[in-house]
Amino acid sequence: MDVPHQILSFFPFPILNTLAISVLSFIFGLALGFPLALLKAYMKRLGYLVDVYEKIFRGIPEPVLILLFYLGMTFYLPFPFSNPYFTVIFALTLRSAANQSQIFRGAIRGIGEEQMAAARSVGFSKLSSIRHIIIPQVFTYAASGLANEYALLVKDSAYAFAIGIIEITKQAELLRSYPPYDIVTPYIIAALLYILLTFPIATYFDAWGSKRKKKLGL
Amino acid sequence: MGSVMECKHLWKTYEKHLVAVKDVSMSIGKGEIKLIFGPSGSGKSTFLRCMAMLTPVDEGDIYLTDECLTAKGVNLNAARARIGFVFQHIYLFRHLTALGNVELALRYVQKLPKNQARERALEALREVKMEEWSHHYPSQLSGGQQQRVGIARALAHDPRIMLLDEPTSALDPELTAEVIDTLRDLAKEGVTMLIVSHEMPFAREVAHEMIFYDQGAIVETGPPEHFFNHPNSERAKKFMTRLIKRTERE
Repeated sequence: MDVPHQILSFFPFPILNTLAISVLSFIFGLALGFPLALLKAYMKRLGYLVDVYEKIFRGIPEPVLILLFYLGMTFYLPFPFSNPYFTVIFALTLRSAANQSQIFRGAIRGIGEEQMAAARSVGFSKLSSIRHIIIPQVFTYAASGLANEYALLVKDSAYAFAIGIIEITKQAELLRSYPPYDIVTPYIIAALLYILLTFPIATYFDAWGSKRKKKLGL
Repeated sequence: MGSVMECKHLWKTYEKHLVAVKDVSMSIGKGEIKLIFGPSGSGKSTFLRCMAMLTPVDEGDIYLTDECLTAKGVNLNAARARIGFVFQHIYLFRHLTALGNVELALRYVQKLPKNQARERALEALREVKMEEWSHHYPSQLSGGQQQRVGIARALAHDPRIMLLDEPTSALDPELTAEVIDTLRDLAKEGVTMLIVSHEMPFAREVAHEMIFYDQGAIVETGPPEHFFNHPNSERAKKFMTRLIKRTERE
């Protein structure tokens, strides 16, 4: 029991790193992905560009994206791409925005065009309909998808280890190479930490969405 | 009597083949109640949505009192706010209570201060006898109650005309009655209404004119008695016979 306890004491800072990378990527991904979904849903012409964006960023493996930015882009634009935190959050954000755009598009479809028609019929403009009628409903529909996306980001933040950020995976990697050279425990602890970071929050999101759906009779 | 709403030579075609509105002209005066009826798929709903400026027309003009809504540069949001529209499938805002549904546009379209918006919303709910349900969500209301809230929502901003698209056809007979009662109250108050409906007893009671609509065009118009006794066109005759039979069964 003593050894795992000792190992655990090495993890607080890496946990913070993992959380910071995944939460920030999630928030930035939402800030970019939701407007993309709106473009796709309500502006047919620009919607085509959104499609292209989604295809590209959902099609590239995350490590390739991270290394491309970190090694490739740094060459041309040392600031800010030489900062590994910036680069990994940037890469994850772009991918997450593509996913979240799809999640929100599904949610908007779930809300249905009728809600928009009803809003227009009482005199709301398209934009204020989105603000007053679509946005208040969209998270109810998107909740389970967003929960999934968050869990995905926590796991994908592990790729940050490739560019030297000491997050959970990297820390496990470091610990096994020091005495007592235990190659099992650090990884088991890392695995448990990932589950702990994803499961409760994702479940909470999901349950919130289901509860609200039930209340509103959706 | 100046017309409240008028349309001239309206056309609306879907995908080149399906003509939903074929050169339709009509007008409705203040306090008048006109009832559109006809076979399903004949384009009645499309026509009504065009009049409400919810669906763009291909050709023709629509006037609300003296303002041409189909002219260029018209503020359509403002125009729609002056027309009350009630949907067949109701479409209440599902994240809001009955009160919230009625209040929302008063606050953010009409820009009324909070208290005043609330007062007006409650007044509208009172008019449809839904005041005591004001804090219920749509999911907690029956279809008939939902539709009455839908009517209150359209009524709250004091529209020049109410357009109702088969307001009872999605409800079972029992719930239909309470919505019809509400509409009857509005009729007594002199609200100008253009209604798509097949509720024949109601039509006979309140409509000033009935309009038989088929294949995208107005086939025949006249007071209810005209249709109940001796419609001219063969199509209207057949349709009336079927409707009356159905009503008797119910």
